[in-house]
Amino acid sequence: MINLSDAILVLILLSVLISLESNRMMTLVKIMGLQGVMVSLVPLFLEQHQAIGTGGMIFFQIMILIKGLLIPGLLYFAVQRVAIKREVEPLIGYHASLFFGLIMILVSLFITEKLQLTLPGGHSLLLITAITTLGAGLFLMMSRTKAITQVIGYLMLENGIYLVGTALTKQSHTRYVVEFGVLLDVLVGVMIMGIILHNINRAFDDVDTALLGRLKD
Amino acid sequence: MLEFVFLLPIVMGGTAFFLPVSLGRGLLIVAALLHLQLTVMGWMGKLDPYFPDYFSSSPEGLLVLLVTSFIFLFISIYAISYMSETEMQSEHIFISCMLLFLGTMSMVTLADHPIVLWIAIEATTLVSAPLIFINRSKEALEATWKYVLICSVGIALALLGCFFITLAMDIKEIDAPLTFSSLNAVAGRLDPIWLKAGFIFIMIGFGTKMGLAPMHTWLPDAHSQAPSPASALLSGALLNCAFLGIYKVHVLMHVAGLGTYSSNILIGFGLVSMFVAGIFILNQPDYKRLLAYSSVENMGVIAIGVGIGGIALYGAILHLIHHSLIKSSLFLSAGNILLGFGSRLVKKTGNLARLFPKTFVAFFAGFAGVSGFPPFGIFISELLIIMGAFQRGRFVVLAGFIFCLTLVFAGAARIVMRISFANAGEDILVEERMLRVIPSYVLLLTSIGLFLWMPETIFQVIIDTIKVLGGRVNG
Repeated sequence: MINLSDAILVLILLSVLISLESNRMMTLVKIMGLQGVMVSLVPLFLEQHQAIGTGGMIFFQIMILIKGLLIPGLLYFAVQRVAIKREVEPLIGYHASLFFGLIMILVSLFITEKLQLTLPGGHSLLLITAITTLGAGLFLMMSRTKAITQVIGYLMLENGIYLVGTALTKQSHTRYVVEFGVLLDVLVGVMIMGIILHNINRAFDDVDTALLGRLKD
Repeated sequence: MLEFVFLLPIVMGGTAFFLPVSLGRGLLIVAALLHLQLTVMGWMGKLDPYFPDYFSSSPEGLLVLLVTSFIFLFISIYAISYMSETEMQSEHIFISCMLLFLGTMSMVTLADHPIVLWIAIEATTLVSAPLIFINRSKEALEATWKYVLICSVGIALALLGCFFITLAMDIKEIDAPLTFSSLNAVAGRLDPIWLKAGFIFIMIGFGTKMGLAPMHTWLPDAHSQAPSPASALLSGALLNCAFLGIYKVHVLMHVAGLGTYSSNILIGFGLVSMFVAGIFILNQPDYKRLLAYSSVENMGVIAIGVGIGGIALYGAILHLIHHSLIKSSLFLSAGNILLGFGSRLVKKTGNLARLFPKTFVAFFAGFAGVSGFPPFGIFISELLIIMGAFQRGRFVVLAGFIFCLTLVFAGAARIVMRISFANAGEDILVEERMLRVIPSYVLLLTSIGLFLWMPETIFQVIIDTIKVLGGRVNG
């Protein structure tokens, strides 16, 4: 039988690599939607979380909707209304970014091997995926000039942290209420970032972060 | 029900959004008064948490809550006059976000669950972003963008830290509820490696929010672009809340026997913050940025005091209280100067002593206070930190500490003298008003009052706060 959770994790890794290489804003947003759904599916297919109550099930479905539909939807509208030029405009080229992604996978493999001593077994691929997603998120934030790619990078970072959180720690500690609070914060954060983006676009006629250099010492 | 302390401002903030402005202003004051009353009831131990899994009243939380509530009352009185003077465009948003900000900060002080604490701190970022953005200038836009993005990413790393701490518990198969109180009870059995990793991430995450260098880059922009009442609140209340997050984890580390490790990290960040602030203050052309960098410096002082421990820890807690009082008063005075001269640049100001005598008294006294002159409380708190460093034999830290204090004083004194006495034109835009001067006076007088006489209850709560870390009040 195919191990479903491993298949999902591989899909997440692939989505990270594609996002590093994609040159269109819209592709990036669509990939974030896919990644959001996959990330929220991971805890469902991990063996230690077999029994999930009614409340938990509803929570997971709401989470899939928020991560997979609502947040990418917000980004979609932001790109449509804001981005005049639809290119991603990287500071570091696409191939170099892709190469960075591959190296990141190796680095996380190395880190995971090192930590294996103290980790409960069977999670190595999960931790590799989580660290890669986290690192790639930070990389996207730094290597792209558009403000909106920074928001996407932030979301990817959050996805990575979420993978570490829900998958490595026992569900009994982080009750659904708490996780829902975290998710709500992220959602409102993206909305506020969207509003500022809209205003940046109106004030500067572009969303290039190079324009944001008025305040300095 | 303890949760009323933060639910009340949140509900009132939500209501204020839909009310006409004149009603909203009244609501701001009423909410501030009710919040202070709830806080006092919390201090008297009359409120029990309804969700004890998530909230509880810890002594350090109560202390920060009281400081926040007290300065919020006077800032809101100032804000009323400020709003009518500047004819603010979206006043209902401003009032509503001020109240939501108060609510989320109170939630931080009462949170006992690490992730609830995280949720509350992230929420403070989100509700205070509109406060910085309220002027809608290009500069304000940039400051808000940096604030939201840098703080969100920083705090996201703190969430990772929280998960690591949970992992430290899971690996050792400890089955305890995830609250700071129960974590402290089982601290000795937690996995030290994951705990250390967790502390680093939380230090970087909440340190970003607290304004410790080198993660402080958002702070001068946000503090200088926000309207003055909001800057006062950011500096006097928000930074303490972020500090509270670090402090709680530091206590956990100490109980787990890793106190030396976390202390050294705290001292390191503290010294870097003080030094960076000192450098940037030296030739600062903008007086609101000057105050912002001074906040970075003072957060460094607090981090160093907590790191040294012993009597310096008592000094650090006193410093937290007095810094909030004096710095918010200074930001309010800076608001009057900004209204009067219409510019944030030092060179466009001057002759404050003759043009705005009442503001001048508050501004100059505040400067004396923040530089550590008696009879203001920062004198005693910095003295205690220096004494503590002597006792523990931390002479290198001490040398750095005193050097940075001198650097900051030298830089700030020149600028304050220029604003106060240099020659300037006679034309001023907005006259000073009693309503916009009295709050500054009251905050400064409170600092003097607490220097001369500390009420027994407050003293007892400080003792309870520092007891866990082995802090002492006498030698």
